Amino acid sequence: MIRFENVTKIYKGSIGALTDVTVDIGRGEFVFLVGPSGSGKTTFLRLLLREELPDTGTIFVAGRDIGQLTQWRVPYLRRNLGCVFQDFRLLPNKTVAENVAFALEVIGRSRQLIGTQVAQVLELVGLGQKADRMPAELSGGEQQRVAIARAFVNRPLVLLADEPTGNLDPATSAGIMRLLDRINRTGTTIVMATHDVGIVDMMRRRVIELDHGHLVRDQARGVYGVGTDLPSTSRGIPAVSLLVPPTAVEDGPHTDRVAAVRARRGQR
Amino acid sequence: MALSVEYVAKETASNLWRNRVMALAAVLTVAVSLSLVGTALLLRQAVNRQVQQWSGNVSLQIFMKANATQAETNYVTSLTKQMSAQIRSCDYLDHQASYNLMRQLFAGQQGGDAIISTLTVATTPPVFRCQLVNPNDAASVAAIFHSATSGLPGVLNAPYPGQSIKALERLTNVLQLVLLVIAIVLLASSLVLILNAIRMAIFARRQEIGVMKLVGATNWFIRLPFMAEGLLQGLVGALVAVVVVLLSNVGVHSLVTHYGEFSSLTLPAHELVTTEILVVVVGVVIGALGSSVAVRRFLDV
Repeated sequence: MIRFENVTKIYKGSIGALTDVTVDIGRGEFVFLVGPSGSGKTTFLRLLLREELPDTGTIFVAGRDIGQLTQWRVPYLRRNLGCVFQDFRLLPNKTVAENVAFALEVIGRSRQLIGTQVAQVLELVGLGQKADRMPAELSGGEQQRVAIARAFVNRPLVLLADEPTGNLDPATSAGIMRLLDRINRTGTTIVMATHDVGIVDMMRRRVIELDHGHLVRDQARGVYGVGTDLPSTSRGIPAVSLLVPPTAVEDGPHTDRVAAVRARRGQR
Repeated sequence: MALSVEYVAKETASNLWRNRVMALAAVLTVAVSLSLVGTALLLRQAVNRQVQQWSGNVSLQIFMKANATQAETNYVTSLTKQMSAQIRSCDYLDHQASYNLMRQLFAGQQGGDAIISTLTVATTPPVFRCQLVNPNDAASVAAIFHSATSGLPGVLNAPYPGQSIKALERLTNVLQLVLLVIAIVLLASSLVLILNAIRMAIFARRQEIGVMKLVGATNWFIRLPFMAEGLLQGLVGALVAVVVVLLSNVGVHSLVTHYGEFSSLTLPAHELVTTEILVVVVGVVIGALGSSVAVRRFLDV
């Protein structure tokens, strides 16, 4: 489904965001992309969406080299890649149903199809009763469910999630993970970048770890940091339960580097 | 690429409503500048017609002195025949005919009766009314007959209407140039206003644009409502200008009929329609240009 072949991406005046990454993700897999901030997780997702092009190497999505796509074909690639973010990115002036419908409207689907698909996907994420609410009236977890509904309503081949639980408390996060798991069971490939140790350890899915742009671990049924068979910078972080607030995770040994990376991002 | 007209119309309308003050400013500037353009064009066409009518009939008149002898008149007649390279034909009006023409010309004009009352058949100068092969030669041909320059006996004066026409043309050219310069400055500013209106609309919707890119809306799908918005602003401004130009033509018409002269200053319908079409086209082009620049510059899809 997704294949990176010797992909390298270097941002101007910076260390490599991704260095010679080769990875193969099959159809229907559930993959965690882990690593500290600045390790290249977001770059990985941006390259997949073709928001950027790699400096060297090729990326295949559904057997197609996306580097070869002409600019006007890119939107059609993105229709196959649903996207969920830490900050939800809902439109505040539209209701829940309108937010989800918007994703189908702007790719020119018929009104009839939109009506049934939106109702269906809102049922799936458990928000059938809240279709007419505004995003601001919903809790964070519910807003993220709307975002997932919007990303999934077009039945994409792949669902990309960039720290979808980053703003949520552990219990809510667990609910989001159950939803993603259910979506995964429909055959949708899921690639989720995360810092959330508890979630990764609980789910026991394939884990791809990046560090400073290098692929340092690719482990089936892996955990966040324990049981690594390759040197890992996240070693030393204890596996924590879902009940530990996410802030506790940030207090790991690489906090300084996280802060440094954040500062650098802020300058950009 | 399925593009629903309804979607574009809805989005364009909501964009315009959110930004209505800016949109109104852009529309009004387009309207004012295009009104000036249209008026300048109408003025030019009207003057051209008037000039043609005047110079088409008579290019040169040779007035003989009232007491010119028959020999002197005959000499001028033969001279005009010899100069067939420059002069196509001449009508000779004797005292009586010239007098009749004068009466005709001055009748109904302000102070015309006073002039007529001083005229007698004997004192009215006979005149040669000549058509030239090339009206542009009028000055040089006139110089040959003009008593002051050639000393031709019996000739009083050889005026050509070109002199007064040139003065009129010069005046209207200056007026037209001023109108066009103002119009161009205003058109440039309306272009900038439309561009800015679209830029603000794009900025106001950047969240939605981000989501649209994310879920795979095509570039044209994202761009079209903004393009349509600019186009609409240009078009509405142009339509206002069309009405203004129409009214100004009516105004000129009523002025003309009031004074009775310059009847050719009013334009036939087809020339008016051509001007109006040009006004609309310029408006649409301004709108399309402003919005496409804004879309290319500020909407990186």
